[in-house]
Amino acid sequence: MSTNTAKDLDHVRTAAQDLHRALSDAAAKRGEAVKADLQAVAQKAKAVTESVKATISVQNEATKKHLQEAVVDFEALQKHTAEALKNSGQAFEASIRQTLADARASAQSVSEAVAAMRSAQSTKSRK
Amino acid sequence: MHNYIAVIFKDTRKAYKGLHALWQLDAEGIVTVHGTTVVHRDERGEFQVDTKETHPALATAVGVGVGALLGALAGPAGAAVGAAGGAAIGAAAGGAVGLGADLMRADTRDQATDETAFVLAAGKSAVIADVSEDSTSAIDTRMRELGGIVRRRSWTTLQDDVWFGDYMPGSYLLPYEYIPPGHLL
Repeated sequence: MSTNTAKDLDHVRTAAQDLHRALSDAAAKRGEAVKADLQAVAQKAKAVTESVKATISVQNEATKKHLQEAVVDFEALQKHTAEALKNSGQAFEASIRQTLADARASAQSVSEAVAAMRSAQSTKSRK
Repeated sequence: MHNYIAVIFKDTRKAYKGLHALWQLDAEGIVTVHGTTVVHRDERGEFQVDTKETHPALATAVGVGVGALLGALAGPAGAAVGAAGGAAIGAAAGGAVGLGADLMRADTRDQATDETAFVLAAGKSAVIADVSEDSTSAIDTRMRELGGIVRRRSWTTLQDDVWFGDYMPGSYLLPYEYIPPGHLL
């Protein structure tokens, strides 16, 4: 596995962590300020999803599995963010909670992909 | 190995140094950290969990989730009480949540049966983390240098704890390094 592949995955992980950070910061706000932040999050989520898809093919099987899970989580995140932008009141609150759960799940999946990649590299270097 | 760890420190300042060191090990590629938080137990025995300022409903969820995780780290008996007692955890204002008395009794009871279980004495702080590590030595060595004592339970064992129900143990840990304002290293 090339150094560039590892770096690409590290960048995806940082982007997933940033998405969670931005969403939890947005959740602390009220009214229209939340929706403005959510629009930015929706765009970032779409870009990160494409980055994950682009890195999947060059990974080992264990890493690939976690990245495929991450794609599902990122797509759910995009869907729930779009719903949150349309909703108000309790439905909006529920969408925000779901969106944050999706962001956490996607960050976890990408992080586990990084762990699988590091483990594979470490095994390879010991041989 | 995918493990949950609790690293016990004598005070909050040391705990945040430990938190930073853990994320440094991740940055060096030695371990992979999936999520972390810092908990404190005050002199009255009440637990507090540091989290970011967020929506009150989300802060409550963090309290419930981290409470359940603390119980699980205390061992099987603690897991039962931690999950059940989660509902009693109050909402956080800026991140502090109090944990019910049941968990305190649970960890005391557990200490008698398992000296390797996580027990947080009054006045102490701990870093709670979800990590992947090829060997336990890197974290153990670094935390020992900072005065920390590491306790571990495997991710698989915690997933098998039936008491968790719908709670995913690591879901409420922050997936990046977060040090609250006022806790300068």
